[in-house]
Amino acid sequence: MPRRKDFKKVLMIGSGPIVIGQACEFDYSGSQACKALREEGYFTILVNSNPATIMTDPGMADVTYIEPLNVDVLTKIIAKERPEALLPTLGGQTALNLAFFLMKQGVLKKYGVESIGASVDAIACAEDRNLFKQAMQEIGVDMPKSGIARSVKEGMKIGLEIGFPLILRPAYCLGGSGGGIVYNKEELEMLLFKGIQTSPVHQVLVEQSVLGWKEIEFEVMRDCADNVIIITSMENIDPMGVHTGDSIVVAPAQTLTPQEYTDFVYLCKKIIRKIGISGGGANIQFGQNPDNGKIVIIEVNPRLSRSSALASKATGFPIARVATKLAVGLTLPEVMNQVTGKTTSFFEPTIDYCVFKICRFTFEKFPHAEKILNTSMKAVGEAMSIGRNFKEALQKGMRSLEIKRFGFGADGKDKITDAMLKNPNASLLKQIKDKIRIPNDERLFYLRYALKAGLSIDEIFALSRIDRWFLHNMQQLVELEEEIKQYRNELVEDEPKMPVELLAQAKADGFSDIQLAFLLNTKEVKVKQLRKKSSVKAAYKLVDTCAGEFNAQQPYFYSTQETKDEARPSKNKKVVILGGGPNRIGQGIEFDYCCCHAAYALKEEGVDSVMVNCNPETVSTDYDTSDRLYFEPLTFEDIMNIIEVEKPLGVIVQFGGQTPINLAVALRQAGVNILGTSSESIDIAEDRKRFKQMVDKLGLLQPNSGTVFTFAEAQKVASNIGYPVLVRPSYVLGGRAMEIVYDQELLERFIQEAAEVSGEHPILIDKFLEDAIEVDVDLIGDGETFVIGGIMEHIEQAGVHSGDAAMSLPTYTLSPDILKKLREASYRLAKELHIIGLMNVQYAVKDGKVYVLEVNPRASRTVPLVSKVIGVPLAKLATKVMLGRKLKDLRFTEEIIPPYVAVKESVFPFNRFPGVDVMLGPEMKSTGEVMGIDMDFASAYIKSQIAAGQKVPKNGNVFISVHDQDKRDIVFIAKKFKDLGFNIFASSGTASVLEKNNISAKVLPKISEGRPNILDLMKDGKIQMVINTPSGRIPRQDEVKIRSQVILYNIPYTTTISGAQATVNGIEVLVKKDLNVKSLQDYHKKIKNGKNKY
Amino acid sequence: MKAILFLEDGKSFNGESDLGAECLGEVIINTAVVGYQEMITDPANAEKILVFTYPLIGNYGCAPKFSESTKVWVSGLVMKEKSKMYSNWQAKSSLDDFLNDNKTLAIYNLDTRTLTVHLREKGPLVGIISTSEFDPKKLSEKIKEFKSRPAKSLLPFVSTQKMRTLGKPKGKKIAVLDLGATLGLIRQLEALGFSLAVFPYNASAKQILAIKPKGLVLSSGPENDCGLETVAQNIKPLIGKLPILGVATGCQVLATSLGAQLARLKLGHRGVNYPIARPGTFKGEITAQNHGYVIDNNSLRKIKEIKVTAYNLNDHTIEEIESKKLKIIAVAYNPVSAGFNQANAILIKFSKLLSTRR
Repeated sequence: MPRRKDFKKVLMIGSGPIVIGQACEFDYSGSQACKALREEGYFTILVNSNPATIMTDPGMADVTYIEPLNVDVLTKIIAKERPEALLPTLGGQTALNLAFFLMKQGVLKKYGVESIGASVDAIACAEDRNLFKQAMQEIGVDMPKSGIARSVKEGMKIGLEIGFPLILRPAYCLGGSGGGIVYNKEELEMLLFKGIQTSPVHQVLVEQSVLGWKEIEFEVMRDCADNVIIITSMENIDPMGVHTGDSIVVAPAQTLTPQEYTDFVYLCKKIIRKIGISGGGANIQFGQNPDNGKIVIIEVNPRLSRSSALASKATGFPIARVATKLAVGLTLPEVMNQVTGKTTSFFEPTIDYCVFKICRFTFEKFPHAEKILNTSMKAVGEAMSIGRNFKEALQKGMRSLEIKRFGFGADGKDKITDAMLKNPNASLLKQIKDKIRIPNDERLFYLRYALKAGLSIDEIFALSRIDRWFLHNMQQLVELEEEIKQYRNELVEDEPKMPVELLAQAKADGFSDIQLAFLLNTKEVKVKQLRKKSSVKAAYKLVDTCAGEFNAQQPYFYSTQETKDEARPSKNKKVVILGGGPNRIGQGIEFDYCCCHAAYALKEEGVDSVMVNCNPETVSTDYDTSDRLYFEPLTFEDIMNIIEVEKPLGVIVQFGGQTPINLAVALRQAGVNILGTSSESIDIAEDRKRFKQMVDKLGLLQPNSGTVFTFAEAQKVASNIGYPVLVRPSYVLGGRAMEIVYDQELLERFIQEAAEVSGEHPILIDKFLEDAIEVDVDLIGDGETFVIGGIMEHIEQAGVHSGDAAMSLPTYTLSPDILKKLREASYRLAKELHIIGLMNVQYAVKDGKVYVLEVNPRASRTVPLVSKVIGVPLAKLATKVMLGRKLKDLRFTEEIIPPYVAVKESVFPFNRFPGVDVMLGPEMKSTGEVMGIDMDFASAYIKSQIAAGQKVPKNGNVFISVHDQDKRDIVFIAKKFKDLGFNIFASSGTASVLEKNNISAKVLPKISEGRPNILDLMKDGKIQMVINTPSGRIPRQDEVKIRSQVILYNIPYTTTISGAQATVNGIEVLVKKDLNVKSLQDYHKKIKNGKNKY
Repeated sequence: MKAILFLEDGKSFNGESDLGAECLGEVIINTAVVGYQEMITDPANAEKILVFTYPLIGNYGCAPKFSESTKVWVSGLVMKEKSKMYSNWQAKSSLDDFLNDNKTLAIYNLDTRTLTVHLREKGPLVGIISTSEFDPKKLSEKIKEFKSRPAKSLLPFVSTQKMRTLGKPKGKKIAVLDLGATLGLIRQLEALGFSLAVFPYNASAKQILAIKPKGLVLSSGPENDCGLETVAQNIKPLIGKLPILGVATGCQVLATSLGAQLARLKLGHRGVNYPIARPGTFKGEITAQNHGYVIDNNSLRKIKEIKVTAYNLNDHTIEEIESKKLKIIAVAYNPVSAGFNQANAILIKFSKLLSTRR
């Protein structure tokens, strides 16, 4: 049926900031949706608070709002833009929930907006636990025994009736947040409380646990003509009990018989029809008893999901694009499959390879969190790999993770050595057994240890409930490893000698050169030479949706060992773009944004783009972003294989974050042309010694510093420059293992930790400038002309990682004199490093002086934000510059200072790691960011807070407890709260200062000294805002408790004076005049020289 | 041991085999991810060399109940990785054991993707799998010799030898002409509550009418068989007298007896993901197919009573025809069970044709 003509304007809701459970897969789906809507001629209005997304690029939608995602703001936008339809199925749970609440509050009805893609009824049926249960009963689909609790009491009753273990699932929640597995009464009570708090409708499903069952997922689509297709099945290697977002997943399912498969498909069709999705897709999760095949349904997501992004990338079928077309009334047979170019979307993809998805965790960032996996998702990213068999896919997947591992162990990095495993003692065996019994991020490695320690597959199955088929494949890898080891060299210098057949088999089963080098006791380069000599080389095969049945027009590629290479490189000029790999804290969507822009720019310049990435959540791995996509791990070996086939004129390493930067030197040494800023300059910026020399030469200031390798050296340096000092490893990302150290005792601890992370690189020690203001500068250069993109002032004082700090663009307190100094320093640095492309500099400003903290000769995390605020696509320009274009010709020669204010705020995953202190420091902890934009700082700031999920109060009670040195500053803030009508509660110290200044405050006792204390008040919902600055280097117990409780009860909080200041000003705006919404396009009109075309 | 797959155009692929043997046949590819045992035991694949495009075969093992007939019909198998172990609660044995028990030659560790692309480009080819002969010349000669053999019908082998009765004795009586019927089809007909009389392929119209059936089903089976022409002649007198359902090869037989011609596809439709659409609507279905021949559209158009009710959405070939007047339905695809042993919609439709007749 032709597309619907009864509406013209469609409102799209994005998913907001990147959080655990909702990552850049929704930028991928949202961008595809925007493109699809515009292709069909609809006027598209987009709202998303996340500035780092491709979808919020001004060209993606007709009107783009970067505003907080809540009912209030959405209502204002609807009133202003008057869309006739709302597409809520591509923005994750956030968009779906918003649509539901817009309906509940009558907004949709009032403005005549129809929810397309999934009707409000369909959303309710899938999301409301009661309705869902009823619907499933009606069509005879089994569910685990369960009941819905609206109170702790009710939940306890249900839970005790069903019996332990139980799974709790709060309704309308994301990534299983607030849920979990409970084994006893105490845990049940605690989690019920949290779940009811977390659920926006205060409902928790208390469910019989099917722990250890197989978890099988299907991606299903249905159109308005009732055509239903299955995109793919997926089988979780981790059985039920681990959130699917944390599970290792294979596609297609490997251990189902055709009969079982057909039965699942039958259920899927029944379910999608019952739920009533009639123009979109759904993800359906089942549990299956591996002993008798009994099937239960776990849940249905009536929208695009992380799994559907994975299914898209695994099969080549663009689910988001097709779902959007179905939402506007087209049918599957009417939508072409652009990958084959020959078939329609009414077609079930079939694949001739094995897909493996593995998750990236960041437990190292949260040392106090329990390192286990359960039904509350904890992964921050994922990598997908493709192989012709499971073993190859597994090994490629593990080296895609970028955790410095190069396959299924056997890479010289194993914690437990072969020697120890040969005769494992009882305690080692116990450790191994525990690690495979209780799901955790290292389980795969421990499975290998278990196999090597001689545990049988049946024993391992009994402990882990991981299907024997997978375990057997792992055992084959272990056996092959042993076989390879027989050819081990005596001396590293010896030439490796390994039979060609065995080498070919090792490669076919995914062994990397590094693994082989370790097993053969030789060097990576020698393995490469051996491969060359024996003509064992990677061949590229296609992801074409059809297992080779059709000659695909727009496929993508993966490497394997086969007889024929189907890579078919073009004769055009081309450039390889290295992506960022799996998302992690410190490297995420911002870099993918830059990589995509590089591809767009290359297209504009008539150069073929060749993208290399392994992150299935991204826009960069979409089939139509680049000319050619290689779905491959980002390791030296894998990249060189591609370069040898493609023979590009150069490689872009600036955009994928630290991953490609770390490879730059090795690639350069292998004769690869690095585009833009030279690898020499990259090295100067990354090598502290060389960097220091340069800073001195330019006459710029830098905090005193030294580079060290040992604790003794560190001690000397630290006492020379004086405490506090900042300790950090070099060549790392997101401030990994970075710490501010106040004394020698702590120094020793951190040096050790930093040494582990730093590896062969030195450790850096800098003087820490207390109470300085930090500034980030993004700059673009073509080697001759250098232009500042934006100068951003951090709102928190120095010491908070720039990835975590809130920032204002333009700056809001810096004097013209300081700004002048900052500009001069930036231009000097850029000129000296001969920057071609992007550069980011971090400064500290203290006592009128400007100190250079670090220079990153690459795209920074803030590039998308700056690009959006100033209306100039910096990454795109940078790409063109790298190809030899000049900024003058591109007409970007002058810094743009916007006449409005944008504030970036970070969002943190603290709610996933119960008990973790929310204090910010030099180690980055945020997963994502939001932007608040308005005409003044206070409004922009408060928007950013609301967008980041803070329930900013307009009245109520504020609790204040600050460090002595903050007590002067808090007076003014407290007074303002009082003037705005808030009541103040304070700790005794803070209260006495306030009293002296005539601000009445109710004193609360210390937690151990009496009740009701602050914790009680928070629990009772009596506290609407918490201001708590840390009292010193070692936080007091009370503070940690308070700060972890704010997360539990989702109470707005700030841990800095500057944050408190900005917040109170923002609340004043909320109380006195309310917030306005304005589109990005309208803001850009306010820039005077905004007529340039880039 | 080492093994080779050699094609009539001279292209060869190296692999391994556990069984020392040799086999010849037309090489066909199937793109389904699961269902190896069903395909191996489907009489429609008799004497073919079957290639699985999915690279991991044998994962869920084998069990007698997965078989579509009582024996292995393929001439040989080609696969990428033969799973060394299996895992499924229903499995009774490994694929290895199953192949061994049936003395079935399988070549594995072979680049099935390149083979598939080759067949896609070259069209149907005959091939030979050998573990003893590797000389291209000699292999080529063997293929030549194989192709020059006089045509031999497989129908006497795949069909039942004498009439069998199955299903519910009190149910509506349905005749099934066994051209190589699968158990899957029989089970679905049983599930619909019919009493079945399964006739050998060479049953005459008179023999069929003698049991007074309410309808006739022409089963699937080997295509392009020299014996099918006679079958088409045999059933001609039944057209218009009985509601008839033709399935896959049965569809082709029915079409020929109506006077239509068949055409060969460059690459057969073999897999479980084929979309069919109803003319003039946006509604269709995803079907399982296993055919290398289709009804020629031009020749069909001349037959007035017959309407095309579904075509393949990818290449627009005919997948389903119907005559309301003659009470005929014929489907080129395989009407497989919808799940939980329930019958395919087309079988239900056929059963409704019967009930109007009383």
